[in-house]
Amino acid sequence: MENVLEVNDLATYFFMHDYIIRAVDGVDFTLAKGETLGIVGESGCGKSMTSMSLMRLIPDPPGKIVHGEVNLKGTDLVKLSEEKMRRYRGNEISMIFQEPMTSLNPVYTIGFQISEVLRLHRDIEKREALREAARLLKMVGMSDPDERVHEYPFQLSGGLRQRAMIAIAMACEPSVMIADEPTTALDVTIQAQILRLMGELKEAKDTSIAFITHDLAVIAGFTDRVMVMYAGVAVEDAPVKELFKNPLHPYTQGLLGSVPVLGVGKLNEDGTRRLLQAIPGTLPDARRFPRGCRFAPRCPHAMKRCWEAEPEMVEVAPGHNVRCYLHHEVVRERKVRNLGAAGRRIAKLQEHDRKKREAKRARAERKENKRDGVS
Amino acid sequence: MTDKSLLDIRKLRKTFPVKANVFSTKSIPLKAVDGVNLQIRKGETLGLVGESGCGKTTVGRCLLRLYQPDSGRIWLEADPDVVAEVEARDAEREEIEAELQSVFENGSARGQSRKIRELKQKIRTIKAVADRKAAEYDLLSMPAARMQRARKEIQMVFQDPWASLNPQMVVKDLIGEGPYTFGTHRGRTLDRWVNELLDKVGLPKNAANRYPHEFSGGQRQRIGIARALALTPKLIVCDEPVSALDVSVQAQVLNLLISLQDDFDLAYLFIAHDLSVVQYVSDRVAVMYLGKVVELADSRQLYQSPRHPYTISLLSSIPVADPDIRVEGQILEGDVPSPINPPPGCSFHPRCPHRIDPCDKILPELGRDRDGHRIACHNPPND
Repeated sequence: MENVLEVNDLATYFFMHDYIIRAVDGVDFTLAKGETLGIVGESGCGKSMTSMSLMRLIPDPPGKIVHGEVNLKGTDLVKLSEEKMRRYRGNEISMIFQEPMTSLNPVYTIGFQISEVLRLHRDIEKREALREAARLLKMVGMSDPDERVHEYPFQLSGGLRQRAMIAIAMACEPSVMIADEPTTALDVTIQAQILRLMGELKEAKDTSIAFITHDLAVIAGFTDRVMVMYAGVAVEDAPVKELFKNPLHPYTQGLLGSVPVLGVGKLNEDGTRRLLQAIPGTLPDARRFPRGCRFAPRCPHAMKRCWEAEPEMVEVAPGHNVRCYLHHEVVRERKVRNLGAAGRRIAKLQEHDRKKREAKRARAERKENKRDGVS
Repeated sequence: MTDKSLLDIRKLRKTFPVKANVFSTKSIPLKAVDGVNLQIRKGETLGLVGESGCGKTTVGRCLLRLYQPDSGRIWLEADPDVVAEVEARDAEREEIEAELQSVFENGSARGQSRKIRELKQKIRTIKAVADRKAAEYDLLSMPAARMQRARKEIQMVFQDPWASLNPQMVVKDLIGEGPYTFGTHRGRTLDRWVNELLDKVGLPKNAANRYPHEFSGGQRQRIGIARALALTPKLIVCDEPVSALDVSVQAQVLNLLISLQDDFDLAYLFIAHDLSVVQYVSDRVAVMYLGKVVELADSRQLYQSPRHPYTISLLSSIPVADPDIRVEGQILEGDVPSPINPPPGCSFHPRCPHRIDPCDKILPELGRDRDGHRIACHNPPND
């Protein structure tokens, strides 16, 4: 499949008075035609800053894209001048924002705001643009579109406002649409409506969507591939089914474990209270990330080397990448297996090493438990 | 009413005046809570769910009298004899009120001013007698001094941990303010109690002398929980305690709330819009729609066999964290109607896929008790 968008090693830093915030710190991903990529993470992990960087909407100063490239159909958006970027924004790449009330202009009618995009990017007359706007509103499922074009954002409910936002984003039929938490501010029943609408439009127009959210459940039903972000970097990236069935990074596992599952009562079978698998601790300070793996302070499997250097992203299964030392071993062992008899011998030695390490870890754990028991 | 009942909410009503438009001087009533009956038992968690604007927060705030309800009674560990007596008087009063209403509606109010005055006088006397009778147990007719004592029993955890902690107070004072003013702990015992509470909610001891801005959202919510616990209340109203938090932190706080419940023998009124969070902590769940409770059931029952059409579609529109389940359930059309001008009859009927003839005329009552599972619906689809 042809890639519409390729993001390579994108990094956006904020240069504050006396410190630097590394909001996005080397993110890579691709988006194929008609594909939906989910970008998940908690607040402050850099997912929104990634999307703002793609749109070149980072407030500069203090923000700056320090390196990396964003290739949209062969054009590097990072290198474009502001003037040229404007021709792309809303035309080839568009965005749906989280808060439909704050992102729509309250003093213009929604008809005007939709036709503004059309008039900017197409040679089209004002009245015709307004007719087109009404057609777009009909497409996003608004009743009486001919009257709605003359209404102001405050006259619409939250769900309808988000529909108007989608109409603006879809106006020029962009090849890439970035949806930054499009349903977070909405109620569940309205969220379901908007998700269904976005799904239908995606099918009809073959748009590629980068769907940014903190809600894993929304991602599960809507996307093809998922990238999990933590503290400015991607930690895992896999096809959606693979990710939910076989999450490999401890952070992804923790994230999935901390979502309450519907339909399970508050008691276990044996009558004890069911507890969620919470991840201890909080996100690291973006001013001072840990030297090694950024998740190490919260990770239940953290080893010595996790504190020393940041792990690389490795491909564990086709299309399944993970940034964790636990899986570096798996990959190396697979390479070793492919080496034949010599490899098997090495593998045996490694197995021995591993057992030794495990025994050591178990000892350390016992010690810790003992200490906990004392205190 | 069982002896286990801790709090019994009867016919709670709260309206807010809303201006008809920017320039008008007249205001119209917005019925935020419209006749809610709920019972919270000792040591249980009652979940209260609904979409934004359904009045769930207003119910919670009425319990603490942060809002003054228009009418209704909130019984706190009441003597059943008193309740029965007051209830009889209230019923009597309602009859007279209905009579008065009919006088006005017949349009013949003129020339009947004497009768109207008499009826109004009667209502006032009955209400005064009932209120005096209820003063010991009813939160809404308590004298100030008794209310002060009752406040110790009900505490609240607020939604926004950034807005609910005074930034000028250190954590020690935030948590200790309640015990200090109530005189339950003083001096060194107070310090010890604060430290114990900090330990219970999983904060380090040195947190006591720090300011709220030094903490993250999850930690602030822990401070809020410790503050609510400080007076060892019997009921904590949790108003969306985790919706402002990230998923991983949300799980920590939920686990904390659950473990504290056993330690302190607490009852929770857990208000949230997220059904999966609510089912996770609740024994019973009440679903609200436009100021009314439409379904009330045991948590397990509600999630396994919801009966009200609103609950059914609410449950089916929750996305499930499993890519193999692409639910194509009922997705509700349209928006929640404005509570200023709710639809006649059942307020859900314009969006209801199962509406029948009387739905748009007659208001369904919360009834038809079936092993504690109650719904307000004329045509429940699964029965």
